[in-house]
Amino acid sequence: MSDTSPSSANSWLTLLLAGGFEVGYALSVGGSHGFTRLTWSLVAVAFFLLTLWALSAALRTIDVALGYAVWAGIGSAGAALLGPVLFDETLTTGQALWLGLIIVGVVWLKLADRQQGGGEPGAVPQDGQEAASARRETQGA
Amino acid sequence: MQWLYLAIADIFEITVAIAAGKAEGFKNRTWTVVTLVSGAIGTYFLSKALLTFDVGVGYAIWTSIAGVGITLLGALLFGQRLNWRKALGILAIIVGVVGLQLSGAA
Repeated sequence: MSDTSPSSANSWLTLLLAGGFEVGYALSVGGSHGFTRLTWSLVAVAFFLLTLWALSAALRTIDVALGYAVWAGIGSAGAALLGPVLFDETLTTGQALWLGLIIVGVVWLKLADRQQGGGEPGAVPQDGQEAASARRETQGA
Repeated sequence: MQWLYLAIADIFEITVAIAAGKAEGFKNRTWTVVTLVSGAIGTYFLSKALLTFDVGVGYAIWTSIAGVGITLLGALLFGQRLNWRKALGILAIIVGVVGLQLSGAA
């Protein structure tokens, strides 16, 4: 229940916001048509700065690998779902499945970084990794 | 041509990931500038790639290849271990990208 403390809740809210900004970034970069449309281009620049700011703010308290996984997952899933809504694009079931595999792969890859993140300074890499994964298993149980 | 644009955009996105880490919450001015400039160039080439790719497809390929690049660079340059979990993630991404291409979406 300690996760519901105000600062932690704020960080997660900021991270979700960063994910939303990243969706806006992807869509507006696409909509800018190679930065030939002024409005879309300005919106893209705004979203680029917003996502960078919100992500770095959230990662001050949230574990970097976990934060990146959530952010990247929201960004790519959101862009895939909203692209066909906003633009003249179609996504077949088969393509959606391949896209889903890529998104799962990205989130998985970011999370796999997690077990190396917490290595104690001075510890041998293997020891640090074992300690970190042992910690993870304890948390997961 | 869209694959070349995507590859160039990925090189700059990997630079953004490394530079943003070194910018320490944008307190370090040099790395903050590197982050912003690389991000701007990468974004430009992403937008060129998205002239051909659908947004959801192009964005997913771009961000996933950057993730693979960051993991491989971490193993090659920063001494991080490439374990089976990471290899599985990379495999899923490669299979997904090839599958997308074969299905005609990319």
